[in-house]
Amino acid sequence: MIKTRFTPLLSIAALTVLTIPLLAHHSGAMFEKEKTITVEGVVKRFEYTNPHSWLQVDVKNKDGSVTTWGFEAEGPSTLQRAGIRPSDFMPGTKLKITGHPMKDGSPAAAWVEAIRADGKRFDPREGFKVK
Amino acid sequence: MTNSTKTARIAAIFLAFATLLSACNKAGTAPAASSGAPEPERTKEQMIELGRQHKTAWELYQSLREKTKDGQRLASSNLPDWSGVYTRAPVPGFSFDPDQPPDGLPTAKLTPEFHAKMLKRIEDAKRGIEWDPISTCSPPGHPRWLTEPFLREFIVTPKQTWLINEMVNDIRRIYTDGRDHLPEADRYPLYDGDSIGFWDGQKLVIHTNQLQAGIYQRSQPDYTDQVETVEIWQKVDDKTLRADVWVYDPPALQEPWFTRQSYVKLDDREKTLRIRYWNCGENENNAVYQTKEGATQFRGFTFTKNKNKQGESR
Repeated sequence: MIKTRFTPLLSIAALTVLTIPLLAHHSGAMFEKEKTITVEGVVKRFEYTNPHSWLQVDVKNKDGSVTTWGFEAEGPSTLQRAGIRPSDFMPGTKLKITGHPMKDGSPAAAWVEAIRADGKRFDPREGFKVK
Repeated sequence: MTNSTKTARIAAIFLAFATLLSACNKAGTAPAASSGAPEPERTKEQMIELGRQHKTAWELYQSLREKTKDGQRLASSNLPDWSGVYTRAPVPGFSFDPDQPPDGLPTAKLTPEFHAKMLKRIEDAKRGIEWDPISTCSPPGHPRWLTEPFLREFIVTPKQTWLINEMVNDIRRIYTDGRDHLPEADRYPLYDGDSIGFWDGQKLVIHTNQLQAGIYQRSQPDYTDQVETVEIWQKVDDKTLRADVWVYDPPALQEPWFTRQSYVKLDDREKTLRIRYWNCGENENNAVYQTKEGATQFRGFTFTKNKNKQGESR
């Protein structure tokens, strides 16, 4: 069964600093910067758009219903630099994804890390590194 | 012909050639040598002092221009190679001054009013009350333009240089054809202002006015519509373009704010980097609004019902 869980990061200060979402055209104040949520599901849609991209993931709940979660990241050029391409997350792709959840409880989060079923990891913030 | 006559003739020919070379250099047909002997690199402290010695950005710009005898215009063959795709050298929090201490305040010497305004913004942000004026898709505008972390290109031509930031397709055009700014009575506020410049060897010197009020970045100070800048752009190594920037803004700054900005050429061996058209409104999931408290909130998502809170099923 697919689970959702909250992982407080308050005790891991350094990691918290690294995981603060960095958002192009709007503040990230609507997200819980000191918490993460991890869900498992399948990709419904990958919106590879400016100024932010959204990875939509269908997550099965305990009662068998499905909630679509949205994970926000930066736009295409930053994702490209992070090695994240549209073809990496085709509809139906199985994955586990972690993000900073919305404060208001909406099923959305700032994308921190995604791990595909084949084990490959994707961190959008890698796109801001200079290589 | 005597030897002394021969010598005098050779000297006259040499003098005429030197005069011609000097005239060509003004017109941009001679090699782009730096004006006079190369000056030693100025430290940041010396640049700060240079800004203090001039009351306005325009005065500083004029003094730099006078030193180069009204500046140079470069021919195509003498232009520097600024090709490639760049990005700003990473700066924590996108601070305007890359030298801002990680846990410190911006380095600007602000007037009391603008200092208080900045402190309030920083304190509000800590409480989750934060709104960025570009959230509704307006361009960042200059001088904030210098801080954005996305892709950049620099197109150098004899009469104009284009400084391009991918974000919101933001292009600053720097006119180097000898034109002046518009008459004062005809100036109106612009996101990126009006920029004119000249070449000092391989350095591009720019004056920008006609700007709009804005913020340097989130958790950074405000600037007013009186803000003007002087910039000196140059390539300092194969991968780095540097911009020395003085900001003058009397209502907000007690003295010019000097910062040294760097832009790094990205490795694009696979030739995958592209600057695409940036339509800020293309995805309605990115639409946000300012709450009554002054915070930022999404308008709603296409992938869920408005009241589909976490844990609820559709």
